[in-house]
Formats: sequence, structure tokens, C-alpha cells
Amino acid sequence: MTFSQQKRMSYYAFLAPGLLLFASIIIFPVAYSLTLSFTSFGGYGTPEFIGLGNYAKIISDEVFLHSLRNNLLIVAISVFGQIPLGFLLAYLLHRKMVRNGDFYQTMIFLPITISPVVVALLWNQIFSSSGMVVALIRRLTGESQYVIRIFEDRQLAILPILFVLLWMHTGTYMIIFYANLQKMTPSLLEAAQIDGANESQMMIRIILPSMVGTIATTAIFAISGSLKAFDLIYAMTGGGPAHFTEVIAIYMYINTFKYYKYGFGSAASMIIVLLAVGLILLLQYISRKFERRFE
Amino acid sequence: MRKRLTLASVLSSVLMIAFTLLTIIPLAWMILSAFKPHALIVRYPLALPLSWYVDNFVLSWTQGHLGIYFINSTIYSFVATLLTVFFALSSGYALSKFPYKSSRVISLIYTLGLLITVHSVIVPLFIMETKLGISNTRLGVILPYIAFGLPFQVFLATTYIKGIPDAMQESAIIDGATFFQVFFRILIPVATPIISTMFIYTFLGNWNEFILVLTLTSDLTVRSLPVGINSFAGGMSRDYGLQFAALVIGTVPMIIFYLVFKDKIAQGFAAGALKE
Repeated sequence: MTFSQQKRMSYYAFLAPGLLLFASIIIFPVAYSLTLSFTSFGGYGTPEFIGLGNYAKIISDEVFLHSLRNNLLIVAISVFGQIPLGFLLAYLLHRKMVRNGDFYQTMIFLPITISPVVVALLWNQIFSSSGMVVALIRRLTGESQYVIRIFEDRQLAILPILFVLLWMHTGTYMIIFYANLQKMTPSLLEAAQIDGANESQMMIRIILPSMVGTIATTAIFAISGSLKAFDLIYAMTGGGPAHFTEVIAIYMYINTFKYYKYGFGSAASMIIVLLAVGLILLLQYISRKFERRFE
Repeated sequence: MRKRLTLASVLSSVLMIAFTLLTIIPLAWMILSAFKPHALIVRYPLALPLSWYVDNFVLSWTQGHLGIYFINSTIYSFVATLLTVFFALSSGYALSKFPYKSSRVISLIYTLGLLITVHSVIVPLFIMETKLGISNTRLGVILPYIAFGLPFQVFLATTYIKGIPDAMQESAIIDGATFFQVFFRILIPVATPIISTMFIYTFLGNWNEFILVLTLTSDLTVRSLPVGINSFAGGMSRDYGLQFAALVIGTVPMIIFYLVFKDKIAQGFAAGALKE
């Protein structure tokens, strides 16, 4: 074997195990899923081709539309809640506005290690009628029979979940922004300070423009993460009561594994992918506009 | 100017303290409640435990089969993480130090893989595993864990290995070493910092993973801790004391893990957003 043959063989050998697994567990099933989504496959027999039938049924389904709305609210809370808050916290830490910054950073990032299932059950307890929140409200208002009714409201039931998501993920964005802020060259800020710029001017003129790329990347994280939100909601409410807190991933799960509508479930999962790709393209369009404006 | 800055720093401290309390109070309440019997939790949610009642832990561990779930979680996390990191490193080496055209296409495929969610493959994966007879087995959980871990880890490995000077491997090759020897004897030792970041980040994700185990397994002998803890929420037990104890059992090891490896975990998350 010549040296160049040996080199090429080594190259393939290094790539093979990873690619083999990736192709058989991700690429092939994605194609399979796309194919299934055009059929009425129910787990046995030959799948019957029904074209876009599943998709048509899904987008006219009231439950799906409510799930979609919940998913979009989750995207909104992560893009307009977690990211700005995470940025603010990171900024305050970076500018050393507080003492014991390391301690705060450690505590705020901590929820990331806890399994979403544990987080879900913990907050369920906190919001339950024998939970901390109810007990505190009863003590403060003197109303001894107070209970939280928010979960019984079709429109508002998602709110506690949004809060818990904020609780779980704000620290992650804080860590990401903090790492990126520290990579900024300090001389820029020093020069601005010497020229008499105040905090808010430095923030708007220097720091934000240099962070556009990072903000866009974190937003991509947030969008794809929000659309696949499953664990926390599944463990907290299972999508209930009466589908009030359902999201598309749960809608897909219930249809597939409870009603054995494999084709239908595949179509729902394809919608998640399409939505993610669509929102990410939109985001890239917007961030390119911003970058141009700052140039 | 000076006064405004002090006001700003007071407000900053208030915000930091608020977020910190928001983390600590629920966790402290959870730990304290785990030491209270059910009746006491329901009647006096805010009261401190009267004594260090440990029966909750014993009962939730035995009744909830947490022992076997703990063992499974440990197996899944260690085996899948080791293989993910190893395959990612060898792929990263191939993609960054070999001059073939196909490497760009393969990198692109892995990058697109970052956007693929578990949900888009779960139905076919379930069908495939059932046909192959590996659903409900440990192998059937570990393989998807590796596949889903790869895209991000390949990205981390490729970026890091690109930064290692070519001279190191070239001189070894000239001295007659094979590429495998270079990989094991030179590359892996040099890449230790990124390997530990990759390992810890992947381990954390695998330990907390939920939906794959939930859908691909049904026997309690192969299920993992998150799925096991989740069964405390349903009909299995209305005893809140047991539920809190199970939550503590699920949380405390991870908090210790976090306090030890916090910087590595942070690096893993931050590295994801650094790509441009």
C-alpha cells in the first residue's frame, strides 16, 4: 500500500463510525419520516399514500392551532425574555457592577444541570394547592382558601410554564453572553471612556453592535430549542388540562404513541422542522439587516 | 455621574440577588420538604421539618426502583458519552487535517444535523428498533444518544484540532508513524482540554435526556432516572414526601457535578455560540 493510499484509508477509517451512526439514526429516519408523513400508516400493513392529507388535517385542527400558539409564545419568551435578561445579567457581571459576581453567576446558571423532569415536578409542587406560592399568598392576604386557578384557563394556562422556562434557561444565555463579552477587546471600551462616553452610550454604540452575531446565534438556539420543548411540559402538565398547555411536540407524541397514527405524527414532526427552518431563515434576514445598519 | 453609578450598582445587586434567591428558594424548599412526612407537607408547606425524617428516601428508592434507574442512567451516560467523544475526535481529526474535498460536504452534513430534533426521527427510529429487536434494550438507547451527540461534538473537535499546528503530526509521519499512532499518541494528549469539555457537556445532556428513553423503552429494567422520577408524578404515588425525596435524589448528584465542573459546562455552552 502506498503512502497516499494509506492516508486515504486512514481518513475513511476515522470518519466511518461516526458517519455510519449518524446516517442510520438521523439521516435515514428523517427521510423515512418525510415519506411516512404522506401516508396513513398506523403501525402495521403497507402504508397507504394519501398525499398532503395529514398536513391538511393538522392545520385545520383546533388543538394543533392552540399548540402552535403555545409554541410561538415559548419562542417569544425565549427570544424577548431569556435572551435580553441573560444579556443584562452578563453585562452587569462583565462591567463588575456587583460584588461577588462569581457567586451570583454560579447560582443563576445552576438550573441548567437539573433535569427538566425534576424541574417540572418541583414547580408543580410549588404551584400546587399545598405548595409554596399558595401558602405564601394565603399568609400574606389572610385568605385561607386561596388556590391558583390559572391552570384552568385555556388562554393563561401556559403562563406558569413560560415562567419556569425563563427560570431554567436565563442562566444559559447569561453564560454565553458573558463568555463573548470577555472576548471583546477592552481597549475599545477604554478609548470610549476616555472620550467621555457614559455607560448607556458605550452599551448602544459599542457593545450591542459587536454582539449582533452572538445574539443571532443564541436566537437560533432559542428558536430550535423552543420548538422542540417537550420534556418540561410533558412532565408538568402532559399538555393538559384539555390540551390547554399542549405544544406541537406533545401533539405529535400523543397522536403517534397513544393513537398509533404514525403517518399523522410524522407529518406533525415535519411541521416542527419546517417551522424551525422558516423562523431561523427569518431571523438571519433580520440580523443581516441589523448588521448592515451598524456598519 | 458618581451618584448615578451607585444607583445603578444598587439596582444591579438587587437584580442579582433576586435571581439568586429564585434559584435557591425552590431548591431549599424541595430539600426541606423531602425530610417531612406527607401529612406535614400538605398541612404546613412552609414549616421546617420537625426531625430529619429519612423514611421518604428509603421508600422512594425502593418503591420507585431508583436503584436500577440510577445504574441505567450511569451506564447510558458513561458509555454513550465516551463513544460520542471518541468518534467526534476521530471525525474532527479527519475533517480538519486531511486534504480531501469530501470533508467539506461531511462537515456541512454534521452542521445541518444540529438543526434536526429528536422528534423528527422518533417515529421511524421506534419502528426501526422494533424491527431490529433492539427497542427496549440498552443498546437501543445508547446508539441514538451517540448519533444525537455527534453533530455538536464533531463541531467542537474540528474547531479545536484545526488550531493544533500541523508540524506536530507531520514530523511524526516523516519518522514513520501511522495516522492512527498520531491520533492516539499525539492528538489525544494535546486535545485534553477540549476532550474534558466535550465529555462533561455530553454527559450532562445524556444524564438528563428524557424523550428517547420514554419512547424507545417500556421495561423498568432499562429505563433511566428522569423517566423513573417522572413516574412519581402520575398514579404511582400520591405521597408528596416520596416525590420530594425522588426529586432530591435526582438533583443533588447533579448539583455536586455542576459545582465541580461548572467552568467546563459553561465552556461547552459558550462554545456553541462562538461559531461564526
